[in-house]
Amino acid sequence: MSGLLINLDNSFRERLWKNLVIAIPYLWLLLFFLTPFLIVLKISLADPIIAQPPFTPFFQETVDGSFSIYATFDNFLYLFQDSLYFVTYLSSVKLAFISTFFALIIGYPIAYGIARSPQPTRNILLLMIVIPFWISFLLRVYAWMGILKTKGLLNGFLLWIGIIDQPLDLLYTDTAVYIGMIYSYLPFMILPLYANLEKLDIRLLEAASDLGAKRWQVFKDVTLPLSLPGIIAGSLLVFIPSIGEYVIPALLGGADTLMIGRVLFDEFFLNRDWPVASAVAIVLVLLLVLPIVYFQKRQSQESMQNSSQAVT
Amino acid sequence: MNEEQKSYIEIRGISKYFGNFAAVDKVDLDINKGELFSILGASGSGKTTLLRMLAGLETPSEGTIKIDGIDMTQVPPYKRPVNIMFQNYALFPHMSVFDNIAYGLKKEGLSKDIIEDKVANILSLVKLEEYGKRKPNQLSGGQSQRVALARSLIKEPKVLLLDEPMAALDKKLRQSTQFELVDIQFQLGVTFIIVTHDQEEAMTLSDRIAIMEQGKFVQIGEPNSIYENPNSNFVADFIGNINLFNAKITSTNDDNASFYCEALGGEIVIKKSIQDQNVKDVTLALRPEKMIIQKESPSDEDTNFISGVVEDFGYFGNLSIYRVRTNNGDIIQVSKQNRMRTEQPIKWEDEVYLSWDNENLIILEK
Repeated sequence: MSGLLINLDNSFRERLWKNLVIAIPYLWLLLFFLTPFLIVLKISLADPIIAQPPFTPFFQETVDGSFSIYATFDNFLYLFQDSLYFVTYLSSVKLAFISTFFALIIGYPIAYGIARSPQPTRNILLLMIVIPFWISFLLRVYAWMGILKTKGLLNGFLLWIGIIDQPLDLLYTDTAVYIGMIYSYLPFMILPLYANLEKLDIRLLEAASDLGAKRWQVFKDVTLPLSLPGIIAGSLLVFIPSIGEYVIPALLGGADTLMIGRVLFDEFFLNRDWPVASAVAIVLVLLLVLPIVYFQKRQSQESMQNSSQAVT
Repeated sequence: MNEEQKSYIEIRGISKYFGNFAAVDKVDLDINKGELFSILGASGSGKTTLLRMLAGLETPSEGTIKIDGIDMTQVPPYKRPVNIMFQNYALFPHMSVFDNIAYGLKKEGLSKDIIEDKVANILSLVKLEEYGKRKPNQLSGGQSQRVALARSLIKEPKVLLLDEPMAALDKKLRQSTQFELVDIQFQLGVTFIIVTHDQEEAMTLSDRIAIMEQGKFVQIGEPNSIYENPNSNFVADFIGNINLFNAKITSTNDDNASFYCEALGGEIVIKKSIQDQNVKDVTLALRPEKMIIQKESPSDEDTNFISGVVEDFGYFGNLSIYRVRTNNGDIIQVSKQNRMRTEQPIKWEDEVYLSWDNENLIILEK
């Protein structure tokens, strides 16, 4: 009998342990994602007032001592009424999209090259890709200011070799923002692509070649479709931080570079309109959640297909 | 083979070096049209490298390969009239069975109708008519193998290369698949070159076998001639089970050669002349099934026999294999057909007599 009790105890402990392990990510997300999100959501439903904090409380005490909820959609409506916000969102999406596209165009051959190089070289190359992270992001963006400014390194070099005879206006333009974004987020494109391409079975490429495919056909028919999960993962990792990026457009962009991150900053710190700023943030999150949900759905569909139809 | 018949595949002095290591070392080989040829060797013998050079996936360091009279040495894989079936099949995981098989035809730019016709035909040849829409991960091992076979045959190659075609299948499936493969090869008349490490597979499938070791062929011949007339200790030991005994030539004349072999009980006379007078030390080889094991002493005066004690035996149903320790302390393997249901079996520690016909001894020069 005592043996049975110990058994029960063991299975109980095992279940407890399992639940604990699963609970860790939930706990983290609850503390550092859901809670701040709900706070921001709450602020976005308030009216701005000149007070500390600068918005109306969510729960309001009425005269008879009971509580009522105060919420308004005015801030969200305001986002739709003022075309500035729509234009800025659109311009942010465009900036993030173009940056992601170029990061893919540049990152794919790099990832492919690393995946195809011999093992020891591969590790060194990967290390080199990651090493810039050891230096602060902010410093690296400042370095780009030094390179791109009118009397900077790039203009100096181009003038010296004689391609141009007037320095180019690069700094404080959209081009500078693209350069900064692509440079900063390229490793996030390369790493997932490398992880995918490294697993690619060389024999599949040989089989395609054996069946009559030329090199570019092998790439188009086999390598590219099989690396699609890596392309999607890398693109999301670049697109998501790009769309809300504040530092790079603030430092490298001009006055006319419209980015939602800058609008957000201005609303919070210049206008002190926390409710509108919060509404901007909420809409931004929704804008980002949509592609992720799509990606997740795609992935789970794929893995479902693989597991349910696998034959032993 | 008459003299006018030119070989279909001519391999001349082919080598492949990886650094200083010769994976394939100056190999010559002729293969006839429609032949089912096996290259048999242990892993690392260079057999797969040779196959890959035939497919064009590896460039030879030296030598030439001709197929049907045309030099293929520098032709890229996608232009060769050769297809390969990979060991793990290498089916495209993102394409359906139909698209996998149709891939080679699409690259040829054939029309949709013709492609559909051809794929349907070959699917029925490999008995997978209903499976066109499936993805490779929805197939069993045997089905995957047949898809791979269909995919590599659809372009009607002059030569089909098969890299360990049965290695991924379980034993029962392997046997039935072997017969199917021979059947398909016979129907289509395509020249097959099979690379394998499995001697049983090579023996049952092939018209001829080449045994490869350290980048070179050690013997090429029909299965039965390789089994009964191995030309070296290595081949004798590699193919099937065999007992090897050290012996010395005592005398030789035009008809006979006399040997002294301690393990076989002393003087042995074989009806065969030894050409090279300098050879003194030889190995005598004797297959386990060419000896008779019995408990009674052979009555015939002329019969060669030695006695010993059964040290170990394995019972396989149709036959039993005995390991007998002779009075000299040598271990000899003997197999015995279990012909009678009611027979009293020979067991451990039984005193036994082993007898043989001297004509079954293979003389291997050292």
